[in-house]
This record gives sequence, structure tokens and C-alpha cells, in this order.
Amino acid sequence: MAFWNKGESGPSEDQVLGVLKKVLDPDLRKDIVTLGFIRNLKIENGNVKFDLNLTTPACPVKDQMRDQAVALIKGVPGVSSVDVNMTAEVRQSPQSDKTSLKGVRNIIAVGSGKGGVGKSTIAVNIAASLGAAGARVGLLDADIYGPTTPIMLGTDAAPQSNGSRIVPSRAAGLKFMSMGLIAKADQPLIWRGPMATKALQQCLFDVDWGELDYLVIDLPPGTGDVHLTLAQSIPLTGAVIVSTPQDVGWRISMKTLRMFQQTRVPILGIVENMSYYICPHCNEKDYIFGQSGGSRAADQLGIPFLGEVPLDIAIRSQSDAGSPLVLHQPNSPSAKVLREIAEKVAAQVSIRSFEAPVLEVE
Amino acid sequence: MPLDPTASMPVKIKKVSPAELMIVWKDGHESHYPSPVLRRECPCASCRDEMTGARILLPMHVPDNLEMRGVHIVGQYALQFDWADGHHTGIFSFDLLRALCPCSYCRTQ
Repeated sequence: MAFWNKGESGPSEDQVLGVLKKVLDPDLRKDIVTLGFIRNLKIENGNVKFDLNLTTPACPVKDQMRDQAVALIKGVPGVSSVDVNMTAEVRQSPQSDKTSLKGVRNIIAVGSGKGGVGKSTIAVNIAASLGAAGARVGLLDADIYGPTTPIMLGTDAAPQSNGSRIVPSRAAGLKFMSMGLIAKADQPLIWRGPMATKALQQCLFDVDWGELDYLVIDLPPGTGDVHLTLAQSIPLTGAVIVSTPQDVGWRISMKTLRMFQQTRVPILGIVENMSYYICPHCNEKDYIFGQSGGSRAADQLGIPFLGEVPLDIAIRSQSDAGSPLVLHQPNSPSAKVLREIAEKVAAQVSIRSFEAPVLEVE
Repeated sequence: MPLDPTASMPVKIKKVSPAELMIVWKDGHESHYPSPVLRRECPCASCRDEMTGARILLPMHVPDNLEMRGVHIVGQYALQFDWADGHHTGIFSFDLLRALCPCSYCRTQ
């Protein structure tokens, strides 16, 4: 550097942080500096380098935030280049001190009113998407009546045990446990309430889940023992409600939704499945079960609408083949829809972890 | 039932002594519950008829010096108490607890 521009030794940290304060996280509604997202800021010879540490690797607006940050810093006098390293650290939502779930940061329940709406398909694809984005994800299939995740993940090996702890199976980048693995594939679990309660608690507390960013729980349909046990045993980060578009589906889903509201489980959003069918011959969208039932219901209730999933042969065939669509055909239109839903769920979880009060008895 | 939905959201729950529970609510209101008052309002099926809501446990059955041994949070919507008489099955939702606030202001509402 020449002697005459001594004192102009490039941009200062304050200048860089000053412009970065203009970048807002649209979900958390605060700027990325205040939120503490900027880590390891280094400024050398006009090169600005830092980590942008988000609250989830599945952030739906991460590219947008990065591009905005880069553009703003390039506008600071003296900046020649910008290097942004995108990182993520999923925040811990308020948790009870159940030691075995201590390493689990967020617990997301996926429920529906009636059965057959594709709840498990959505749960598996949300979990697999979050895993593919780089998060550590577990999936617990708590549907005692129709445990389907072993089929959808292509493994029905009985879980191993490690002393008194159950070691979860691994498939599709997930740790998973299914009540279906307790019984043989073609055998029903004929249980009264107390048995279901006990089995669910075992799957939660006796399984060695380890460190997880998200534990997705696939619930049975309706509002029964399993739901109540779950709402009473652990503080859920939130619930996702899945329904099909027709009125009869939504009316029943409302009951499940009200149950979560009565037990103070935040509703992360509503997913509408089987929204439309794309004709393979003419590519027309056919709204077989009616249109926009889900988004209307979400609007009325003031709950986020997470997306419309089409009736797509690929989703069904990949589920039957044991490999989630979002992993097997990640570039297909349906996989994109499912991934966007997972990103919106992750964004809602981040909002809840920032807002939710920690309750404890003093 | 409180009108403001945040009114039945606790921000602080404290077992002051075996004889008293305190809750500070999100709207700033502070509730102090003597243990026997809570025990007498137990909503569980063995203390209240499930269908009619009629009292099965009569107030006179609970001594005025009944102690609270433990307090547990249920999920994120209720509290459960261990009472000195061995009872523990009642789940008191935050809505119910707010409605039971014994202060003179709440009693006249």
C-alpha cells in the first residue's frame, strides 16, 4: 500500500456489519447481525470473508439472503471480493429433561384426521428432505394400526438392542424406528390404550436417538391414545396436519387440529395431499377432489399453508419401492414440491424455537 | 374462561412451599393457590363425574393442611401434582388453572 493512502486500510468491521444489518431473515423478522448469524468475520486486503450460520440447513431463503449480503458488501468502498461460507446450526426448542431425548433439538408430529391421506408419505419425504439438506434427522413411525414407513424406507429388519437401549435402524439417511418393527409385517398390533401408550413411550425414551436436529413422528390418524400420550409426555416443537382437498377430509382434520391446539402444541402448518392429477396425455391439471380446500382452511385458521402435493404415480411407486421420491428423483416436479414443504416446516420450526417460552417448575 | 388467549400462558411456575403454588401469567397477573384449594378442584375422573361434572370428591374430604409433594409439567399445556394423600392423576390445564385463580379480583369476574 502506498504511503499516501495510509489510514484507508480497507473497509472496517463496523462498515461491513452495518450493511449486513439491512439483510432480514423473513421468517424470524430480524436482521442477520442481531440474530447472530455472522460468524468468523475476516477482512483482509479488501477481501471480506465470513460464515453465514442459519437456523436450518433446509432454509428456504438461504440463497436469497446470501446474494443480498454479497451485493450489499460489494457496495462498501474498498471491498474487492466477498466469500460467504453457508453453515447451519439447528436451535434447540424448549425441552423437558428426559435424558434420552436430550440430544433431540426439535420434535415434529405429522398427523391427520382420517386415514389414507398420505400422512406417512409426507412424513417420510419431509424427513428425507431435511436429511438431504444436511440435517441430522430421525423418523418415528408411531402409527400402530398401519405402520408403513418400513415399506417406504425399504427395510424391515428388527431393531438391534444395545443393553437396555434400542438402536434405531438406518435408511435413506435417517435414523428410524417403527412400531411396525415390533410386530411381524403381516401381523396386526391388537392393543388396548395402555399398551399403545407404553409402546410409544418406549419408542421415545428407550431408543438411542443420539444427537438429532429433527425427530419427525408419523402419527396414527385421528385423536387417540397415541396422540394424547405424545402431547403429555414431551413438549412437541409443533405439528403438521395433512389432509386431502375434499370437505369431508378437512372437517375431520379440524378435530385433530383442535386437539393439538387444546394441548398447546403449535401448528406448524397444513399440507394438502392429492391436490390434483396431471394427465399424462395432455398435461392438464385435474382437481379430482376439489380445489384449494387446504389453503382456504389455512387462511381461515391463520395457519401457514405449506403446499399442495399432486397425485403422482412416481410418489406412489417410490414409496412402494422403499426409496423416498425426494432422494430417488430429486429433480422431479413432485420432489420439488415436497422439498419446499420440508423447507417451510424447517422455517416454522426455527420461528418456534426462537419464540417459545421455556416452562419449568421452580 | 379468560378472554385473552395469552392470559392462560404461564411465564413462571413456582412451588412456594408444600402449602402453596404460584403462577405468573403472560398478562402479568399473579396467582397464588393454597394446596387444598387445588386438590379440591381436581378434574380427574375419580374426583369428578366424567359425564355430568358432578363432584365425587367432596371439599370436606380434603384437610386444610394437605400438602403438595411435587409439581410436573404435562407436555406444554398442563400441570400434574403429587398430593400428600397419594393422589396424582389430575391433569390441570393452564386454562383451568387460570380460571381457578383464587384472588379476589378473579373471583368477582
